[in-house]
Amino acid sequence: MKKDTRPQRWRMSRRGFLIGLGVVGGGLALGAVFGLPAARLMLADMFGDVIEIPSTMPREPDLWFTIRPDGHVLMTMPKVEMGQGVHTALAQIAAEELGVAWEQMQVVQSSSRGPIADGAGTSASYSVISLFPVLREAAATLREMIRAAGAEQLGIPLAQARVERGVVIDAERPERRITFGELVAQERDWQPPSEAVPLTPPERWQMIGQPLPRLDLPAKIRGSAVYGYDVRVDGMLYGAVARPPRLGAKLRRAAPGTARNRPGVVEVVIRDGFAGVVAESRLTAYAALNDLELDWELPPPFDLQDIEQRLVAQAGSGTVIQRQGDAPAMLRGGQVIEAAYRTPLAAHANLEPQAALVDVQPDRVRAWVSTQSPVQVARTLAQVLGRKPETVEVTPTYLGGGFGRKVTTTVATEAALLSAAVGRPVHVGWTRTEEFRYGYLRPPTYAAFRAALDSSGQIIALEQRHVSGNVLFDLFPAPLRWLFGSDFGGWRGARLVYAIPNLLVTAQTVELPLPTGPWRGLGLLANVFAVESFIDELATAAGIDPLDFRLRHLPENELGQRFRTALETVATMSGWREAPPPGRARGIACSIDAGTIAAHVAEVGLVDNRPRVYRVWAAVDPGVAINPDGLAAQTEGGIMMGLSAALLERITISDGRIEAGNFDRYPLLTIADAPEVFVQILRSGDQPFGGGEPPMGPIAAAVANALAALTGERRREWPLV
Amino acid sequence: MELNINGQRYTIADEPARPLLYVLRDELGLTGTKFGCGAGICGACTVHVNGKATRSCQTMVTTLADAQITTIEGLANGEQLHPVQQAFLELQVPQCGWCMSGQMMTAAALLAANPNPTYEEMIAAMRYNYCRCGTYARIGRAIMRAAELMKGQKV
Repeated sequence: MKKDTRPQRWRMSRRGFLIGLGVVGGGLALGAVFGLPAARLMLADMFGDVIEIPSTMPREPDLWFTIRPDGHVLMTMPKVEMGQGVHTALAQIAAEELGVAWEQMQVVQSSSRGPIADGAGTSASYSVISLFPVLREAAATLREMIRAAGAEQLGIPLAQARVERGVVIDAERPERRITFGELVAQERDWQPPSEAVPLTPPERWQMIGQPLPRLDLPAKIRGSAVYGYDVRVDGMLYGAVARPPRLGAKLRRAAPGTARNRPGVVEVVIRDGFAGVVAESRLTAYAALNDLELDWELPPPFDLQDIEQRLVAQAGSGTVIQRQGDAPAMLRGGQVIEAAYRTPLAAHANLEPQAALVDVQPDRVRAWVSTQSPVQVARTLAQVLGRKPETVEVTPTYLGGGFGRKVTTTVATEAALLSAAVGRPVHVGWTRTEEFRYGYLRPPTYAAFRAALDSSGQIIALEQRHVSGNVLFDLFPAPLRWLFGSDFGGWRGARLVYAIPNLLVTAQTVELPLPTGPWRGLGLLANVFAVESFIDELATAAGIDPLDFRLRHLPENELGQRFRTALETVATMSGWREAPPPGRARGIACSIDAGTIAAHVAEVGLVDNRPRVYRVWAAVDPGVAINPDGLAAQTEGGIMMGLSAALLERITISDGRIEAGNFDRYPLLTIADAPEVFVQILRSGDQPFGGGEPPMGPIAAAVANALAALTGERRREWPLV
Repeated sequence: MELNINGQRYTIADEPARPLLYVLRDELGLTGTKFGCGAGICGACTVHVNGKATRSCQTMVTTLADAQITTIEGLANGEQLHPVQQAFLELQVPQCGWCMSGQMMTAAALLAANPNPTYEEMIAAMRYNYCRCGTYARIGRAIMRAAELMKGQKV
């Protein structure tokens, strides 16, 4: 802080434990003591209800903040801004404890090499949850240091100095004051506080909970924000990479053919399993791909049926992820209600396709990438190029949508291989066809339910057998896959919150012949669709109003109370107890994810025999919303994306190839089909939970339940047409 | 050949024939106009050609010799944001922002031709622009708000 320079090294270092090591070590120990199935259930409990995420991020304020003599606070952001508003939310948390005005806050993105580079990446709605305590402590520490310096400068006891909007003020003579900027401009031996710093109590929060304007929007409004597809540097070239004619095909042999004769082509790059072109323009690079001579080794073809056939629940082969009492015994004989639900393969359809600019030089590698995982990308590039990790720097750009598709970013590797061959910066930006066909998809799911009701209509037993393709397993080492047994990304949202005396949920992960991975919310949207549709079917069987049925089954604890409040709020907002307009019906559903509860009511009708969603009401309880307008925006957007997925989207495969090559074969929801959305943000505490994914959880189920109420026919498969 | 973009003249190579989008982004560095699908479906690449909303990924530069082209970089009047930009900022419409240049250019062309659109007319103009973040509700409100702002500015 000495005039933009770092103070002396901090003595204090309070690092949390590494979650990866903690889980593996702890999990193995549990397994040894309790046996594998029990250990897996304990892990499922840990990961199913996870709301406190230990962060390994440092709390030394100089790593996060630079105060400038003009009073601006420059905050370095370890998380990536992909539209979820995370830069604004994190800056609000910091500004609260720093005691500065909102106008003083400026942010800059950390690269993979920065002191707060974040190996966890930006995903799973964990950014705010995990960084909330870290940022509060770091910012409060800095504020206390400045307050002490200000008191000294003003010649007053520390207790007499207060901080307000970036100024240290003499509480007894408020005209005596000195700004943060003036203080950092002085030569001073900055000392970290010797005691734990006080945090601003929630009742005095002025920034947290305010709908402050997003910091990234002015640039986005003017078209000046730089995304991965937009990065331009002097001397750069454009690259394109040959793609296989069928999923899983391997490049056996490749030759440049006539590519080098094409004007504008700079280099043809062929190495094991890879063929690409570098050219003066993107269009030339892509055109030259047709000039290459390529010999592909084709795997056997497969189609959609081959994939869907693998999604069957095999008795006894799932991992137990939730258990109460003895559901199988209770479901032997008697009246059992059964239903099964399916969701299809789906695309992320982020509107900015994969994009990276990489500059491979003899002594260093620099990359600008549209990625959720810059540290991981840097590691991969170092490996692929055979470089020392400290010579590789990856800077994430703004992302034109992430939705899980930019957790793994192979486009950076492609640009790196091409750049290494020509010694100049190379940009690779995928076409829409590449984006549809050569990345990874949301896996299909299958969930089969059985349940029994008692004479009063309470659920006495419920069993769910859940099946999904990989979501996170491809990112995990084999021992971790073995330990978990099933992919917790696949079953995210499949555990039930309701108090059911005999409950069994098993999850099975099946290998598919094509890559699948994380999609916004992981399994959340698909699994809440299945669970909350089945709960609705049980309510119908019991002859009880779907809202009342849910309320009756909530647990008698704090979590149950939060659900009750959310459900009752959304019921009031939507006029649940009153009849819907003629020709329309309403459906209700709720979910919890990353600690945040969402309850939705959807009002639907049929137009030309197709579902039309007119209005959606959402009550969302994130503990406390850092920025309620930001959370409302995430709720509105999540609802639209969820509707698009449930009503319209399905990837089909024929002859080992994804059929959709553009939006003509994979249309998205448009403004013409967008419902009105009404959002209410609730507060249940002082700890913020997840915001980017959880609010979308119930939407598909709410619509399916409304359609069942409207037509008397239950739709158990997407698209819900 | 020469192109007239945002009131400035740019000289570009005649050959090869190529869509305006690639000239804007890769040759002239005007990256505010976005690539989304390359097929004229998603609307992210929308610019104005002689005031009309036009998909730049489907428009060959050879057809634009005498045209007035406006991109998102030229929508504001210097520091003064266009009413559509003002409204999109006021209602905090963008999330990731990738589709937003196309959304705002489409909306600005609509309001230039029809300063008082009904909600249905607004939907009819905007229904071919995708937003994967799902900001549709705010887009609709912001365009109606922009129409109000334009009325105010004319007085």
